[in-house]
Amino acid sequence: MPTTQSTPPETVVELAGLSKQFGSTTALDGVSLTVRRGEVVVLLGLSGSGKSTLLRHIDALDLPSAGSVKVLGEDVPALSGRRLRALRSRVGFIFQQFELVPSLSVLENVLTGALAELRGPRLGLWSYPKSKKLRALAHLDRVGLLDRAYQRADTLSGGQQQRVAIARALMQNPSILLADEPVASLDPESSDQVMALIREIAYEEGLTVLCSLHQVDLAIAWADRIVGLRHGAVVLDMPATGLSKAQVMEIYGRVATSTDEFEAVQTELMNEAAR
Amino acid sequence: MTSTLPPRVTLRPPASGVAERAPRPRREPERIAAVLTLGALVILAIGSLVDIDISLPRMLQSWSNAERFFERVGAVTFPETGELLTLTAQTLGLVLTGTLLAAVLSVPLAYLAASNTSPGRTWRVVARFLGVLARAVPDVVLAMVFVLMFSLGSLPGILAIGIHSVGMISKMFADAIEQIDEGPRLAIRASGASTLQQFTAGVLPQVLPSWVATVLHRNDINLRGSVILGYVGVAGLGLEMSYAFKSLEYGRGLGIAVVIFVLCVLMEIVSSTVRAVMLGSGNTATGPFDRLLRRFRRSAPALTPRRPLTPAATPESALHRPWTGGRVRNSIAGVLTAIAIVAGVVVSDIQWNDFLTFWSRVPEVAVRFWPPSFGSYEVATMLEAMRETIMIALAATLMTLVASTVIGSLAARNVAPNSTTRSGFRLLLVTVRGIPELILAIVLIVISGLGTQAGTIALAVGGIGLLGKLIADSLEEVDSGPERALTATGATRLQVYTGATVPQSAQAMLGHTFYLLDTNIRAATLLGIVGGGGIGYYLLNSSQGSNYATVTAIVLMILVTVLVIEGLAIWMRRVFR
Ligand SMILES: Nc1ncnc2c1ncn2[C@@H]1O[C@H](COP(=O)(O)OP(=O)(O)OP(=O)(O)O)[C@@H](O)[C@H]1O
Ligand SMILES: [Mg+2]
Repeated sequence: MPTTQSTPPETVVELAGLSKQFGSTTALDGVSLTVRRGEVVVLLGLSGSGKSTLLRHIDALDLPSAGSVKVLGEDVPALSGRRLRALRSRVGFIFQQFELVPSLSVLENVLTGALAELRGPRLGLWSYPKSKKLRALAHLDRVGLLDRAYQRADTLSGGQQQRVAIARALMQNPSILLADEPVASLDPESSDQVMALIREIAYEEGLTVLCSLHQVDLAIAWADRIVGLRHGAVVLDMPATGLSKAQVMEIYGRVATSTDEFEAVQTELMNEAAR
Repeated sequence: MTSTLPPRVTLRPPASGVAERAPRPRREPERIAAVLTLGALVILAIGSLVDIDISLPRMLQSWSNAERFFERVGAVTFPETGELLTLTAQTLGLVLTGTLLAAVLSVPLAYLAASNTSPGRTWRVVARFLGVLARAVPDVVLAMVFVLMFSLGSLPGILAIGIHSVGMISKMFADAIEQIDEGPRLAIRASGASTLQQFTAGVLPQVLPSWVATVLHRNDINLRGSVILGYVGVAGLGLEMSYAFKSLEYGRGLGIAVVIFVLCVLMEIVSSTVRAVMLGSGNTATGPFDRLLRRFRRSAPALTPRRPLTPAATPESALHRPWTGGRVRNSIAGVLTAIAIVAGVVVSDIQWNDFLTFWSRVPEVAVRFWPPSFGSYEVATMLEAMRETIMIALAATLMTLVASTVIGSLAARNVAPNSTTRSGFRLLLVTVRGIPELILAIVLIVISGLGTQAGTIALAVGGIGLLGKLIADSLEEVDSGPERALTATGATRLQVYTGATVPQSAQAMLGHTFYLLDTNIRAATLLGIVGGGGIGYYLLNSSQGSNYATVTAIVLMILVTVLVIEGLAIWMRRVFR
């Protein structure tokens, strides 16, 4: 059920002065960021710039050294027990390495997304109620993998596994979807498929998406808004639609992930100018 | 405490027809058969528990039996010092020499058995089969045979231990060889080395640590098992103990049991120290002494200063390897090992000319063992006894599995609620592992007077040390990614455990359980020898009554059982990949 147009955009993630130290390393350095419902935000930054750490704070997988993390109106670091799990169940997390349980079937992997709604431990398809199984099959259908439901997860290709992981996240009925370099282990074609799927789901369901990437071109193609990180601090925050060439160059200048990429875009721009 | 979260919105209510369009779950007949077999085994094991009558009233009864026993027997007594030292030296010499023999024999056997070094398929099959055979025949049985061929002394025991241990050591060694990184060997082959050179330069260096670890582990097992050899006449502490119990000197018998117990614990400490020293700091051993050693090394880095590698002035001066800390340590360890081996051989007092004379006795002995026959026993009696042995093994395995799953899980870093819990349960496992189960069985049987129950409980307790550790390790080895993913969905700890941790380690746990069952079948046989019921009793009786054809028949029964279990284990491993 998408949010109705009449309700004013509402803040779902609010980070203020967020800092995180790992021993002597500063992973995040005073990050303040506000994300509104339905936005698709892409985090860009070099390796080690703090993208994963930032996402992990939103799902309480890491706790801040300083600053505040508010998600869906909850003060995340203060949560524990049942309320922590309730929050986590509202936030889907998609990992670079998919993190499916290799020996379980695709369907059971999707079903694990519903654990927060169920009581007690589950092992085996028979231990899940039928209604959940139907819903899991529907999500598999949506990501185009219904025919693989009973195959072992580790027999799928990387792109397929990531789509199963997306189905697992959808199974949570999340309000927010976090994706940490969801396509970094995939070939370009699967990458486009997965990014298109995330984008489509976000629009149809009115989900808020925070996705880290390190390819600027992908970010420009799929984001509503681009946030650049460097050394744990926000160095860029701009809408991703209707960007001028100069703005694109600026993004590359601030967060380009490799000189190769930088040069490629530069030549492309020059070619275009020459035309 | 109500949540301020906005109400949950269900995404995409189930589209109509997915259930119809979904593929049917695949039900491979082989998998169903395997699941049914597993279920049948579990039911059999539960039935065995009931049959053996392990229950609280029984345990209370054995407790009161034990109290009465100690009233009757009085104090535990020890042999005098001189005698004690001689006996201890005999037992240690026997065990060390036997293990050494096995260690040497297992190298060529493993070479032939490993798929990547074996000269051919036939060689591989034959070598693997010899290994299985050596493992399946209990060392006691071998000792019974060798006692007939050799003059009394340690030689029958050494050969029995040596040949039986080859089974396990060569298997582990061959498995290690199959898992090596092929790169170095390829490089050495590319330089024109012979097959043997490839093995010594490219393979051995990679598998030596695992070989050492296996041999040390086997040495511990052999010491624990050596007591049984005494029951069939091999000199040492075991023989002395069996004499004591036979002549109803219970105090003295228990005294010797205590001595063996202490020896076993000391040997564990020595071997875990040796392991730590020889395998260096990179080892993953988790014994308390390994940890102590590692801590010591960490806190005293100045002992082995890391000198920069300066190029030697001349090639001639570089010819002599510098005496670094590591080299000193290795040399000391090498010299100590050599001394221990020589001492072991010397105290064993081997009658070397037996090796010249025993050939002439082989035909004569062989005739007495063949053809197999149950002799004066009825077939039904023997089958019943074999059934009892299998029941003891099944019941003990089930009890161990249940206890080890709980203890092992709490001892796993990624399952335990906190590190104190983990350390506590790890310590418990190490302590239990120190208990030699056969000694425990003997003591329990003697003092409780309940053979089968006491034996089963002793086996079950002894198994926890092994299976609990294996389970804890396999749980810790799982990929943590899926666990993190389930935590991120809001699952509880228990749900993460069953949803991500257990499925990833289930195959390993199944394999370990079958390994334990396999060990338990043999151990249950030995139990009978010390009064724990089952086929072992008849084995001992027929050997003492010189009914060797019956010994052969019983050994064949045991062999078939062990091979069936082994086959089941291989099948399960294949089905539940
Ligand atoms: N658990 C941890 N312990 C110690 N240091 C950490 C930990 N997690 C992250 N760091 C450090 O924090 C910094 C930011 O790491 P982070 O993983 O957030 O970067 P990233 O932008 O996601 O990089 P990448 O693109 O390589 O995934 C790095 O310097 C990293 O080494
Ligand atoms: Mg990252």
